[in-house]
Amino acid sequence: MSTYQSLSSEKLTVVLDIGSAFTRFGFTTDFAPRYIIRSEVRCKKTNKLRKICDYDSADDLYDMLVELIHIIYFKYALISPKDRPIVIVESLLCPTLFRETLAKVLFLQYEVSSILVLPSHLVALASLANDTGLVVDVGYKEAVVIPVCHGLPILQAWQALPLGGEHIHSHLKSLLSSSNTGIQNLPENFLEDIKVRCCFVTKSSRVEQLEGGKPEYAPPPDVVYPYAGTESILVTGKVREKTFEILYEEDNDHLCLSTMILDAILKVNMDLRQKLAENLVLIGGTVMTLGFKARLKEELQKQLNNDRYKVLNIHEFKFHTLPCKENYAAWLGGAIYGATEFLSMKAISKDFYLREKHLPDWINLKDINNTVSRTL
Amino acid sequence: MELQDINYSKNDYVETASGNKVCRQTVLCGSQNIILQGKVIVQAEAIIRGDLANVRTGRYCIISKEAVLRPPYKKFSKGVAFFKLSIGDHVFIGERTLVNATDIGNYVHIGKNCVIGRRCVLRDCCVIEDNTVLAPETVVPAFTRYGGSPGAYISHVPECQADLMVDYTRSYYQHFQPTKLI
Amino acid sequence: MSYITGPEIVKYACTCGLLKPLPELYFCRHCSQIRCSFCLCHAVDSFFCGKCSENIPSAEARHKKNRCANCVICPSCQQELSTRVASKGPINPDDAKSAVKKSYYLSCHFCHWTSRDVGIPDQPSATGCWPERENVHINRLQEVLDVYQDIMLSQQQQKENSKKKRGKFVSYTDRTGVTASALRRRIGIPDIPHAKIKKPKPLDPAIAKSEVEELPEDIFTEPLKLMEITTIDQRLMQPESQPLTVDKLFPIHKQLTIKRSLRCRTCEHNVCKPEYNPTSVKFKIQLFAYYYIPEIRFVTVEPLRAGQTSELIIKFTNPTQHQTTITIFDLDLEEQEKYVEEQKLFDIIDNFEQAMSLEEKQQLSLPSLVMSSGSQPSSMYSLQSRQPSVIVKPRKINQAVNCNVAIPESTFILPPRDDAAEYDDSSDVHNIEDDPKLVKWRKSNKAFIKLAVTPAADLKIDDEVVCGFTMQHIYTNVIPAIVENMPHKYDHKVRVFFRLGKIVGSE
Repeated sequence: MSTYQSLSSEKLTVVLDIGSAFTRFGFTTDFAPRYIIRSEVRCKKTNKLRKICDYDSADDLYDMLVELIHIIYFKYALISPKDRPIVIVESLLCPTLFRETLAKVLFLQYEVSSILVLPSHLVALASLANDTGLVVDVGYKEAVVIPVCHGLPILQAWQALPLGGEHIHSHLKSLLSSSNTGIQNLPENFLEDIKVRCCFVTKSSRVEQLEGGKPEYAPPPDVVYPYAGTESILVTGKVREKTFEILYEEDNDHLCLSTMILDAILKVNMDLRQKLAENLVLIGGTVMTLGFKARLKEELQKQLNNDRYKVLNIHEFKFHTLPCKENYAAWLGGAIYGATEFLSMKAISKDFYLREKHLPDWINLKDINNTVSRTL
Repeated sequence: MELQDINYSKNDYVETASGNKVCRQTVLCGSQNIILQGKVIVQAEAIIRGDLANVRTGRYCIISKEAVLRPPYKKFSKGVAFFKLSIGDHVFIGERTLVNATDIGNYVHIGKNCVIGRRCVLRDCCVIEDNTVLAPETVVPAFTRYGGSPGAYISHVPECQADLMVDYTRSYYQHFQPTKLI
Repeated sequence: MSYITGPEIVKYACTCGLLKPLPELYFCRHCSQIRCSFCLCHAVDSFFCGKCSENIPSAEARHKKNRCANCVICPSCQQELSTRVASKGPINPDDAKSAVKKSYYLSCHFCHWTSRDVGIPDQPSATGCWPERENVHINRLQEVLDVYQDIMLSQQQQKENSKKKRGKFVSYTDRTGVTASALRRRIGIPDIPHAKIKKPKPLDPAIAKSEVEELPEDIFTEPLKLMEITTIDQRLMQPESQPLTVDKLFPIHKQLTIKRSLRCRTCEHNVCKPEYNPTSVKFKIQLFAYYYIPEIRFVTVEPLRAGQTSELIIKFTNPTQHQTTITIFDLDLEEQEKYVEEQKLFDIIDNFEQAMSLEEKQQLSLPSLVMSSGSQPSSMYSLQSRQPSVIVKPRKINQAVNCNVAIPESTFILPPRDDAAEYDDSSDVHNIEDDPKLVKWRKSNKAFIKLAVTPAADLKIDDEVVCGFTMQHIYTNVIPAIVENMPHKYDHKVRVFFRLGKIVGSE
């Protein structure tokens, strides 16, 4: 089947999901990205790797994106971008500067024929064949919750907190440097590796034991992690367990990952609340951690006893199991959308871009008025 | 940057009729199996193991100090066999680099302190950065720059690499002059 | 060999305003402009495998997902795997003719990973049909995709139908006569599109569960075996499965590489086109700046002190077969800025025109379009699938200069390149009268030039000194076709920047 399909489709369409930490890239007819690469490019001046999201200015971002897209097309995709459509999956909360610069790079530098921009939270539901769900995206920079009801993202109910990989890494770094003397500046890649290989999200009952200093608490075994050739770092059991606790520590506004989800449900229409609570969809790399789902469920149940959320009248949460890995769920949705006629119907063409000089956006009144008048 | 003159003491080097300049403090084992095509410089304390198998270099090759050229071997069920090591024209091999490759193309630049693993093939116009360790049987394609340990693709090499290497090895040879006695 | 290893001291300014060393620049003969990889249009020329150096046709490459069918890489360290003979199988002692049975397995020479580690059985053939992992969700996803495709198709057809109906008159006849759909309606059979729109079969949506994967209990008691858990890079190498433990790592087929060709966006001519053969390092078209623009190399500079003049010696080399004259001018960055502004202005006008013409095009019906194209056959429109390129806007040169270069009054000549001279040790025969203040020494097509540079007085110790000037050289155009009616020779200017080093303290 795949043989026939890949040969018959003359136009390969690239689907791109540029995250803050990783970029997923693949083609529309595939069900998994070809590559997941770091969203980093080598800086010409310092010869060091720089993350795309750490840009200083629009020009800087433009140059970095040119580099990244070049790598994607000529090292991995191996097709010429000119006169081909491209599907971009992006967060609804993507900064305007970023999406405009990306459009400029794609249209002017790489001369793609059209761009189909898809909101990541919405398309993440595509692989489930579901049109309603509460999509929780826990990525590198932030965790974003957006409910999607009957195929429409409910934007006024969005919730976002800077709880993601970056936050966890810095927490892990401070935990490690307090338990290992003389180790200060661990590189981020190294921290990420420790996080991925050693750490897990523990149960809430154990957290109470740990924090209360109860005698029955027995920490999990320590791990000796090799570092810088001959040296090693001791990752204690407590550190392994505590690293992800930061997601559930309420901040000054009493917000954490679990309250975000409940707040989002609170903000939508009463009739939809039950349905959303029974259709939780978790996406993003961080949710792949061992024990993440189980703990989230526990925390949500715990928060329900809170007066603030009693009005919800929800008793149970149900989670979807995606037919893919969570870290490319949004990408897969983009690939499914891109494989249909949707691509030719809704993509923004080069001519349109050259005329309008910007991408239509939900935040831009002019575009909204245009679409309203068009539909009328 | 223009090269400076590199002076050597006339007593230390032997110059052959074809223009090879070979230091006397080198270890050339099995010299009957070593062919230097001409205008090749072999600097002090370099080791060429011609006793294992044939070693053949092209014209204008520079083998820097303490570099080791050692033909690769392959294990068979009955024992070990050595294969010849051939190097193309205009190749630079940096200091303290160990070369175990079978084939090095033309216009190749290999940095300092590298280990080129057994039976590697380095195609024309590739660049190996300093301190690279190439795993055995790696093939480095043309116009690529490899670096790191294990050696991996780093970037593209400019298309005029061939001319750059010709220019570099020629001018190196020209600047490699005996110290003038005053 | 600063081009390959060392610091980049001399940089040339590309037309687009980026600074690059000379070997990374290209020179479009048709526009007589310098180009670089940033302002050229890249295209994929041919596919090949870096390991087996085999050319792979593009259809096959696509089918194999841009991977080599034969070469595999290590899932643990991403080095190339090699095939090893495992064992000579049992030879039948009764039959002397029975073939020796060989089996093969994969092994990594770098990290000593083998295909046996993960339980892949040894294969009977060396090229191996190494087992591949299937995506377990593929059936469900294909189902989902099919339904979505049907939905979108029906939507699109509905849209088209509604468009048709909106017209005041339903045209029953086309130029070809009565349309099939009209006929069908006459006879009373439902319209074809309706027949085609089979109602997308309903797909049962995924059902959420309240049970979730629990944390394994033994994580609190069992010591972690670090060597058995994959790193994030190893996981992401296999995006589909992303195995958590090393025993699920499968060998990966090697990614293909490409040869790229480069095209000038202004005149659509190629500036670089490689030969087809993967191992060849030759080019069909090679318009590298290194072959056309005189090369400048830094030789020496006297110690730099703020506010004091030092002598800078640089070497010029003429790479062409034609004599050229070099004149050094002031850098004049303002002029470049003006040029950038001008281009922006052009752009606005262009866009305006483009927008206008687009609207016109939309208003024009097909026949008049054919008319307007005049003598051009109308089929040309369908053939012109290649759209004209968008030109990359030049930008301001982003390099501050903090050192003054005394501009010499005289010019100097660089004789043509003579390959034979390399083998000829006899002295030069060129009788060129040089300004001794400027030219220090010359040999064949090279000249060593003295320049006086003065770092700005307010520089501190260890500040980087950057100077620059505009070099004008005579470029001889040798495109045979246009030689007759085009100026044969003209002046070409290029801005050159030098990183001279750091300010040193006073003696």
